[in-house]
Amino acid sequence: MSQGNMSTSAKPNTNPVVPEEIRDSVSISSIDFMIDALGQMLSPVLSPVANLARSNSVWPMTFGTSCCAIEMISVGMSAFDISRFGSEVFRATPRQADMIITAGTITRKMAPALITLYEQMPEPKYVIAMGACTITGGMFNDSYSVVQGVDRIIPVDVFLPGCPPRPEGILDALLKLQQKIRTENYADRRKKLYAQTSVRKVDYDTGRPLEDLIGVVQEDTNAALSSGQEAIGDVAKGISPKAEEAKTVATKPVAPKVEVAKPEVTSPEAKKVENTKDEAAEKADDKSV
Amino acid sequence: MATEIQEIDLKTDEMIINMGPQHPATHGVLRLLLTLDGETVKHTEPVLGHLHRGQEWQGQNRTWFQYQALIDRVDYLSGMFTSWAMARACEEIDGTVVPPRAEYLRVMVSEMNRITSHLLWLGTYLIDLGAMFGFPFYPFREREKLFDLFEEIAGQRMMFNYIRIGGVVRDPKPEWLDKLKRFLDEFPDRIDEYETIVTQNPIFLKRTKDVGILTQAVAKDYGVTGPCIRSSGIPLDLRRTKPYSVYPELKFDVITFDKEGDTWDRYMARILEMRQSIEIIRQCIDKLPSGDIMGKKQMAGMRIKAGEGFSAVESPRGILGCYVISGGGEKALRFRWRNPSFCNLAILPELLKGCPLSDIMAIFGSIDVILPDVDR
Amino acid sequence: MTDEKPSEAEKPEEKKAEAAKPEAAKPADAAKPADAAKPAAPAAAAPKPAAKAPEPVIPATAGKFEQFLKEHGIPSERLPLSLTIETIAVSGDVLQSALRLLRNSSEVQLDLLLTVSGVESNDTFDSVYHLWSYSNLDELVIKVLVKKSDVPEGDLPAVPSIANFWSAANWHERETYDLMGIRYANHPYMRRILNPWDWEGYPLRRDYKQLVDSLNDKNPHSMR
Repeated sequence: MSQGNMSTSAKPNTNPVVPEEIRDSVSISSIDFMIDALGQMLSPVLSPVANLARSNSVWPMTFGTSCCAIEMISVGMSAFDISRFGSEVFRATPRQADMIITAGTITRKMAPALITLYEQMPEPKYVIAMGACTITGGMFNDSYSVVQGVDRIIPVDVFLPGCPPRPEGILDALLKLQQKIRTENYADRRKKLYAQTSVRKVDYDTGRPLEDLIGVVQEDTNAALSSGQEAIGDVAKGISPKAEEAKTVATKPVAPKVEVAKPEVTSPEAKKVENTKDEAAEKADDKSV
Repeated sequence: MATEIQEIDLKTDEMIINMGPQHPATHGVLRLLLTLDGETVKHTEPVLGHLHRGQEWQGQNRTWFQYQALIDRVDYLSGMFTSWAMARACEEIDGTVVPPRAEYLRVMVSEMNRITSHLLWLGTYLIDLGAMFGFPFYPFREREKLFDLFEEIAGQRMMFNYIRIGGVVRDPKPEWLDKLKRFLDEFPDRIDEYETIVTQNPIFLKRTKDVGILTQAVAKDYGVTGPCIRSSGIPLDLRRTKPYSVYPELKFDVITFDKEGDTWDRYMARILEMRQSIEIIRQCIDKLPSGDIMGKKQMAGMRIKAGEGFSAVESPRGILGCYVISGGGEKALRFRWRNPSFCNLAILPELLKGCPLSDIMAIFGSIDVILPDVDR
Repeated sequence: MTDEKPSEAEKPEEKKAEAAKPEAAKPADAAKPADAAKPAAPAAAAPKPAAKAPEPVIPATAGKFEQFLKEHGIPSERLPLSLTIETIAVSGDVLQSALRLLRNSSEVQLDLLLTVSGVESNDTFDSVYHLWSYSNLDELVIKVLVKKSDVPEGDLPAVPSIANFWSAANWHERETYDLMGIRYANHPYMRRILNPWDWEGYPLRRDYKQLVDSLNDKNPHSMR
């Protein structure tokens, strides 16, 4: 994941690296290295065969938010019959799916769910961004609540324009994806195994990107710290000027500041979990709605 | 030896389960927060807005001409009706006279759209009930035929943009009417086919009979409209009770049931509505006058006179209303949609109260909610 | 009923849109005779025969509900018709009793609440109620006008909620709160319904500034 991990492992990065979060439970023996090396060696030979098999059974996930979903259903029905290309098995769960067709507008409220679904899918996974809404926001490209391009939150393999695209368009996109799969070297893809995460996380409660919220929290913390050092009261008011002052004036306390700010970095997520709990409790109380 | 069954008071705790927004049977992106006691639903809270695209905001920020193309997405299964609701509201404010041929064409295409909407509902409802593959192929077969007709007349399969302010945009060729007639001749047999499979199917009956009974008092309290309320015995069909367009000249009756409707009645109401739509389209083809099809010049700088008005049409899901405030400019001051799905979905917590977990989808599907219509 | 009409036209208008309406209504009605020539609705033709007169079309029921409310001691103010539908303004204090009365009395039975919409005018926030009936053809539009000058700084305009006795209003009021920022007092669950719960701002307000961040880094004013 990060550079720190790479430096701790003795081997160069051609060997599989266990990501930090599962290092407690997973260790890599020398046999694993050997298998991996063997895989590297045989990959140019085996990949075309394996890819041919993989590309002809790409199972999509039943993910449809709006209009495009109807065309996605249509393509599964007898008139267009996606099963000719081995993709008729629409799975309701991301764990069993190879591909996600983002059929329909992704809003800021839906984005966290899409990210979760994408990250729950097992490798190798592919994304077809279907419809104008998921490519650029489409008809809703200046709307306040629409994620303007699904590639802002998850990596996309094939873009399929149209509003909505015709079912034949979906078949075309599927064939393009199959071509892409056939040209892959599986070992190369496997090396990037743990890098296949979402591009950007979105907060469910505010609809804003998490990185922005982290920035806000950091700014607040810095402001609070600097104001605490200068022993000026009232933290809550005038946050941003104080933060700027801290940047310009205080040079020494930078290092401790970052350390203090770090636990705060995760706080929006933690806060989110707490929030959902609270909301659930509130809902249980509130029977009147 | 007879064993005596003792009833023991088990202490049970309530459990909160999250369902959605990604769920194969929520027809999109509805999130339900269910409070369960064992398998019994105690309380439901629908969490909406996962498809909130700001349609009303778009209405204020686009010109009339641009917004016409957008509103098919308000309710994508019945785009003709959303266009029609907006067009009627604007025409009434503007005083535009719609040529009679355009009115007849509007009725024709929207009744066709009603059929496609109910066909999709039928297919997906059976999927909700567990008929995963097999049955849905049947309604979709006819849907494709109707889509071909739509494509020929409007240029698009789903987002028609066919009904415009002042009339309709294209005149069908005579061959189109022949094709439509041929479809109408064969379609009643197809409905018979669905009914053979579904209507008296014992599994279907067990899943739907006496499930999710909607009482009139609750329905009126929540402002429910459409097939849901007609199957509960309230004859509110806008096409008859407050007739608009050329509906007064067409012969048909409001479909209602005597008793308070359950899930099966709502299914039956929609099947009967499809048969009724066939008759309406046939009458329209017979009566179709010749003449102009557009009463207002379609152009980018189109203006609507100042004023405000609410106008409604009977969509497949209920009363679809559009409240427009125009300041006389190129853009609207305020667009407000009265969406039948939004209002009908509000009864879901009432209907689910006390029902087992397995009935949730049977009841939810029977309301025929379409999520962009809820969230806009 | 028709006597009240001129007085209504003379009445000073509050809103720009409504001020423009009486002038705009005349050409609209000039087109009405041609409108009557097209296949008219016989069942709903109450306003149509009157369309031949040069006067603006006033259905026979105009003023009926104002009269009804006056008889029961609820003051209301007539506004210009919205498309031949009677429109009245009531103050927030009597909104609940007025709606209760209109809904439950056997005389009028306006028991179908179609929408509760929020409208921002030049100097008021309006909460608009469209009432229909399940059993007859009556229609009524009720508006509660909250002057912007009456709203305290940093606070939301407040209108009493009717969700406690009319469930249909529940979600509509939440939606209006969400998009227009009208707070409905004593609503059982006044929380955003469409946007995320901690969303900032009220999108349909005229002074709403859109978020510009990494999910949407376009200039909101550019029309592409």
